[in-house]
Amino acid sequence: MITKKILLSFPKMATGKPMAMELIKTYNLDFSILKAMIDDNIKGTLLLEIRGKQADIDAGIVFLRENQIGVKDVQSMVVVDQKKCVSCGACTAVCAVNALEMDENWSLVHHEDKCLECMLCVKACPMRAIHTVM
Amino acid sequence: MAKTYQEINEKIARGEAVVVTAEEVIDIVKERGLKDAADYVDVVTTATFGPMCSSGAFLNFGHSDPPIRMAEISLNGVEASGGLAAVDTYLGATQPSKDRGIEYGGAHVINDLIAGKEVHLVAKSQGTDCYPRKEIDTWVKLEDMNEAYLFNPRNCYQNYNAAINTSSKRIYTYMGILQPNMGNITYSTAGELSPLLNDPLLKTIGMGTRLFLGGAQGYVSWMGTQFNTACERDEKGYPTTSGATLALIGNMKEMNPAYIRGAVYEKYGTSMFVGVGIPIPILNEEMMSFVSIENKDLYTNVLDYSVSSGGHPKLKKVSYAELRSGAVDINGKMIKTSPLSSLKVAREIALELNHWIKKGQFFLQEPIQSFPMGNALKSLEIKEGEAR
Repeated sequence: MITKKILLSFPKMATGKPMAMELIKTYNLDFSILKAMIDDNIKGTLLLEIRGKQADIDAGIVFLRENQIGVKDVQSMVVVDQKKCVSCGACTAVCAVNALEMDENWSLVHHEDKCLECMLCVKACPMRAIHTVM
Repeated sequence: MAKTYQEINEKIARGEAVVVTAEEVIDIVKERGLKDAADYVDVVTTATFGPMCSSGAFLNFGHSDPPIRMAEISLNGVEASGGLAAVDTYLGATQPSKDRGIEYGGAHVINDLIAGKEVHLVAKSQGTDCYPRKEIDTWVKLEDMNEAYLFNPRNCYQNYNAAINTSSKRIYTYMGILQPNMGNITYSTAGELSPLLNDPLLKTIGMGTRLFLGGAQGYVSWMGTQFNTACERDEKGYPTTSGATLALIGNMKEMNPAYIRGAVYEKYGTSMFVGVGIPIPILNEEMMSFVSIENKDLYTNVLDYSVSSGGHPKLKKVSYAELRSGAVDINGKMIKTSPLSSLKVAREIALELNHWIKKGQFFLQEPIQSFPMGNALKSLEIKEGEAR
């Protein structure tokens, strides 16, 4: 059994389909919904933590993609926009688990797997270079 | 052997000047010794890239037909001063916008202008006989303005305190977010690369010094506000508190948006990251000695930002090497330390200035006047009573 976070984006034509049911029934996957934003008939985004066998997860993802659903691996709820980041370090001041830290050259590094999703870095970034995945 | 500005500039013109950064020079002095290093190196480049609130731009839009004497002025919703002549204004970096507040302020407008973007200009006037127009609503670009120059009343603090919070509540400050119960320490400096820490007694940096400002060649135009040369110093003369500041001027039309950036400090306000690089001529061994300073020998104080009245209490004196190490011991507890100014971009600026000099595109300007030493800070007294 493995656990994985994925971000699903449903285009307009896929918003009406019962995809979650398929994932449970056909692919034997268990999941928790971490965050959902569904705007009926326009588009939707869903952040899932899925649990299951690697092969089942892979097959489930193929199934979702065949149905025009965007699937993106997500390790962390926050994304650092490298074009905006100036490596000042202000975000590292509030990151209690050092998911954001300065490397030996004083460049910001983002260890996505360490993130505890407190989201304080989003507020701490003076360049507004850090945003949530959805 | 002592060198003059003229001799160094002649070497720059011939492409023979030896130019290194204030970080590189440390090892050169260790290897060659002070005397030999002073003969060998001609110029040391210093730089910083951090938040400098006291910054802004003078702009002249040109006259419309019929003309207007602009009184209430806004650029992308950010109010600019109507207190100058008809189409002149000063846009302060920290001014928030009417619609987006501190998330988009004067500094962001300045960055957009430097990036070549069109900016929405709206102005009103009471109308006069010679300036009959009462309203204007148009879009302006940097290249279409007559003049546009940054004039920053206070940049390049020589040194600055580090910040901590001893209270039980998180506080939001211009030193970033400070976690409760001494959860973190923040500091803001380029340390051994910082311009004014490499010339602690302002022997070569004064009025008229040519420098790198936001990607353009700018100048020191005056002493910065809150200029304090009567500050506490170590035995070699390096300030251990904030110290001197510089008022800088430079042509926005020649600037690079990467080096002038809008910034937001949560629940505090808008600020501007300003990129500054200052060349230090190695005129003699004394200057070589000053620029060879290392973070381990530069000190600042950790101040408690949870107390605002009567000054922030001082908790500990620490070196920049300690702050850069990632944690500092405060009362037996290791507290995480984080920077607020970008050493990475400061290094890029020091190298860019280095290249300008090596390519013969940038020459040193001897100050036309030195700044006073022993200049102390005044505070504002609250006086009661009627008009006097």
